[in-house]
Amino acid sequence: MAKTLFEKIWDAHKVDEIDGQIKTLEKNCQDFGIPLFGLDSPYQGIVHVIGPELGITLPGTTIVCGDSHTSTHGAFGAFALGIGTSDVEHVLATQCLVLDKPKTYEIRVDGKRKNNHAITAKDIILSIIKKIGTAGGTGTVLEYRGQAISDLSLDERMTICNMSIEGGARAGLIAPDQKTFDYLKGRKYVPKNYDDLVTQWKDTLKTDDNAKFDKSFAIDASQIIPQVSWGTNPAMTADVTESVPDPAEFAKGDSSQEIAAKNALDYMDLQSGTPLTDIKIDRVFIGSCTNARLQDLVEAASIIRGRKASPNVKVMVVPGSQQVKAQAEQMGLDKIFKDANFEWRESGCSMCLGMNPDILSRGERCASTSNRNFEGRQGAGGRTHLVSPIMASAAAIAGHFVDVREWV
Amino acid sequence: MGKVIKYEKDNIDTDVIIPGQYLKLHDYDEIAKHAMEGIDANFHSKVQKGDFLVAGRNFGCGSSREHAPIALSQCGIKGVIAVSFARIFYRNAVDGGFLLPIEVDEETYKKIADGDQIEVDTSKNQIKNITKNQTYTMKPFSEIVAKIIEAGGLFKYKPE
Repeated sequence: MAKTLFEKIWDAHKVDEIDGQIKTLEKNCQDFGIPLFGLDSPYQGIVHVIGPELGITLPGTTIVCGDSHTSTHGAFGAFALGIGTSDVEHVLATQCLVLDKPKTYEIRVDGKRKNNHAITAKDIILSIIKKIGTAGGTGTVLEYRGQAISDLSLDERMTICNMSIEGGARAGLIAPDQKTFDYLKGRKYVPKNYDDLVTQWKDTLKTDDNAKFDKSFAIDASQIIPQVSWGTNPAMTADVTESVPDPAEFAKGDSSQEIAAKNALDYMDLQSGTPLTDIKIDRVFIGSCTNARLQDLVEAASIIRGRKASPNVKVMVVPGSQQVKAQAEQMGLDKIFKDANFEWRESGCSMCLGMNPDILSRGERCASTSNRNFEGRQGAGGRTHLVSPIMASAAAIAGHFVDVREWV
Repeated sequence: MGKVIKYEKDNIDTDVIIPGQYLKLHDYDEIAKHAMEGIDANFHSKVQKGDFLVAGRNFGCGSSREHAPIALSQCGIKGVIAVSFARIFYRNAVDGGFLLPIEVDEETYKKIADGDQIEVDTSKNQIKNITKNQTYTMKPFSEIVAKIIEAGGLFKYKPE
């Protein structure tokens, strides 16, 4: 049988090295008695999706993982942070880490969103990062609280905590509440004394009314609208109703920021003053540890309603885990996506990080639900715009960014 | 003494320092060939052992990939001098014993130019610019960081 294009690219991509990594992982896990949800497991998926899904992520636990988006697990009131390989090795050897006590940073999101479909958790977190900056949270743990945070589902809270690292914080968390306890109840790996634990957590893992934080920031959810990043870091983001900014105006007198914004516009091939909704796209990626859970896929599918992807746009939908994939297929989402000419894929990281054959070609422009729009992140010369799943889906159909509030 | 290679940029991220496509490499010399490829494809050929990379704020933001400090260190970079560091990069640089993450204020960052010859004395928190005949102060390492650096990494460090 003739090879598909994907297989040809995969072959050309020195599969041996990746194969070697997978085999080494399998062997190490076997040798040291570490459970592995490998490629043939029905629970396989992105670690930040399957940890919570399997009930391994629990409130009050300390979680480390060799990936910066480990902050995702903070959505359950866990202290979760990304570490490098040497630290992973240290934890495996000693079960501990040397850590300075981080400072605390309160992020209040008060009020209610004006439209719970068009305005998503992704828009909330991008709006926060836009304001505090990519280094705003350095040395701190963010605690998200307020009405609009309580209103979020756990899938949505994970999107928020996931991107704490893009604001410079190694961890971000949300105090667990009844929604958290209900989400975890009955999941595969929760401890047998789960109900007792919940009683303890209710008592110990809440935010004190008079809690003091080292820093505070507040934003009103009713003022947040869909966001689109235009630059080369997640803080270079604007409301969808805005235009590509002028670097000087964006920088507000910070010469270094002005240069960065000019460079970003060069790299992104954008002109100041162009309305964001005029930017045409070549690719759409719906996936990643930020936005590949069931609710993300439900929202992305909800606006398709028989329409098809713009003929010039190649669209990939990549569920975050095999379980998300199975649930989505049970709901018929795969059919909705395929009928719209959205490609329906196996679970994994896919085009989030340019580490596998799912990459942008030089100059290609992508609406992506992932977390980083750094230069070359999705492939050398690729141009990434960060958006929510529903915004990505709408852009796929329109061929350019749209204000999705007009669609739902 | 080492030469300065300066990039006047904030937020130099880990995808610039070592693009994701090279994360499957495990030969340090191969990784080093692609260091800073995101902004300077010739970086590895410019570096001589003992050189310093100088950059602006939030150096090393992004991923937890240890390939980032490995790539720089394997090229010969002895230390990165920046206005601030993203914390995972900082930790990886120290814990793996790869390079010195040296924080300086904005003024110092502006004074150090590409090509300057400098000497760093961490015991005195001093940076000497031989080319310009100037001396600057670096932010001191915390006590524990200083000890881990002195030991040559987390695994060589023995707590008292």
